[in-house]
Amino acid sequence: MSLPSSMLRKIVLNFVTWSLVAVIAFPLFWMIVTSLKPQSELFRIPPTWLPETITFEHYWRLLTETPFLRYFRNSVVLATTTTVFVVLLGTLGAYSLVRFKFRGRETLAMLVLFTYLLPSVVLIIPLYLMMVEIGLSNTLLSLILAHTTFALPYALWLLRSFMEGIPEDLESAALVDGATRMGAFRDVILPQLLPGIISTALFTFILSWNEYLYALVLVNSDSVAPLTTGVMSMLISAFNIEWSLLMAASVMMSLPLIVVFAFLQSYLTRGFGAGGVKG
Amino acid sequence: MTVATTNTPLLERQYARLGALLIAPTIVVFSLVIVYPLLAAIYLSLFSIYTPTLEGDFVGFANYWDLLSGREFWNSLRVTLVWTVGTLSLQIVLGVGMALLLHQNIWFRSLARSLVLFPYFLSTVVAVLVWRWLFNDLYGAMNHGLMQLGILDMPLDWLGSMPNAMIGVILVGAWKYFPFVVIAVLARLQTIPDHLYEAARIDGAGPIARFWDVTLPQLRSVLVVIILLRAIWDFKEFDLIYLLTGGGPVTSTQTLSLLVYQEAFALNQMGQAAAYSVGMMLVMLVFMLVYLRKTGGR
Repeated sequence: MSLPSSMLRKIVLNFVTWSLVAVIAFPLFWMIVTSLKPQSELFRIPPTWLPETITFEHYWRLLTETPFLRYFRNSVVLATTTTVFVVLLGTLGAYSLVRFKFRGRETLAMLVLFTYLLPSVVLIIPLYLMMVEIGLSNTLLSLILAHTTFALPYALWLLRSFMEGIPEDLESAALVDGATRMGAFRDVILPQLLPGIISTALFTFILSWNEYLYALVLVNSDSVAPLTTGVMSMLISAFNIEWSLLMAASVMMSLPLIVVFAFLQSYLTRGFGAGGVKG
Repeated sequence: MTVATTNTPLLERQYARLGALLIAPTIVVFSLVIVYPLLAAIYLSLFSIYTPTLEGDFVGFANYWDLLSGREFWNSLRVTLVWTVGTLSLQIVLGVGMALLLHQNIWFRSLARSLVLFPYFLSTVVAVLVWRWLFNDLYGAMNHGLMQLGILDMPLDWLGSMPNAMIGVILVGAWKYFPFVVIAVLARLQTIPDHLYEAARIDGAGPIARFWDVTLPQLRSVLVVIILLRAIWDFKEFDLIYLLTGGGPVTSTQTLSLLVYQEAFALNQMGQAAAYSVGMMLVMLVFMLVYLRKTGGR
């Protein structure tokens, strides 16, 4: 093979790949560009593909004149509490499912997988009635409980896969040395499971952060609305839709995700290998 | 299944008890927020309930009779199938293609991967806002971009008329969910042994023949799992479609999830909505059982 032809092949390959990547990433680029354009430039026809003037006024207005920060705080509380709750239960549950033998273990594992595939709309009507009945409707607590319906099966499934990847001999060695089961769990299993726990926590946090349907049905007061329904209400209630403001909100809403992508991306791909696809 | 009998050693019985104790909190939460609501949904489907007052009467199987004889459920089932097949095929084609490209040694590969991955983790609300702005009929970048490239002569009404609305929803769905296919396929590609390609090359197979004879058979098992999993998830999708079109124009993009929501919270017929949701679940059960069988619960 001659050098020029292999070089040409490489250039074509790169060109094709990067053009496709550019098309896929364009909506993200457009979101950022729109959020930085002044109002006057926004409604120009045809649109300017790069902003002529860059302004941060929309971000300032978003933070000072809209309830955005309150929605943000609600989402942080909601996603964090859901994650802690679910990862705690899930880690103990996965340990039990993988390393203990008891009646109904296999059935239970199948049930977890089944609920992991269940549509939310089936559960939403009874959950709504339940929350109204016990007086929890319009609270963040009702959302946390509702989010466990999809987060717990998901976390349990992921953690189960990670747990299966930990060799059993280390734990057995600790037991021979006289450690109790829970002692071995704390000193041997937990440190090895840590990357898996981080993966699971990130996935759960993102799932909960992005959830929309339960928030739409269970919460209709603006003071406890999380970002998803809160930002959507900014779209629906506006007389003139302010796209720059909404795009600024979209960028801000994606901030946690951007942080995760910048620093912890390997944990996300690991989670995929463990739970998403191996099934 | 292991059965703990009384003559097993003491330690083993203690372990079994500890195992049950560790899973107990999960079982309690599961029963409360999943099993009970699931059974309640089936129970509620036998009633006629007015949502604002939550008062209702027992009507037996009348809701199911309405489901079978009315047009709504079947229309929505058809829409759901069109959406699922459309968006899933696009996801698979785009996903496998992109994975093959990203598997090559291109420049700034990890950056390209991150950019491709991003839409999957993005909130549906954000994705929808951006795409509604892109699809905007007056100022949208989509229409102007396509006009500048000479593909369109006139701005299109993307989400307000058919079949554009369905195409638009399918496109956004494919954009949002194809990274899942990319990651899954990429992971599998990395495990295909090189000597298989070497052997094919020695036999004189070109790149296309190598794809059909080596890559695709190796990807088969992972593709089956991806297709089943994504089919289940696309089938039940709510947020993306509800936020993009609200099921409109009229009911042309009203999938089963939207039908259930609208019946319960817009038309205020909770019992009927529960019946629809049970019907939807029965349809999905087919996919689920195939998936459970294929993966053997692993």
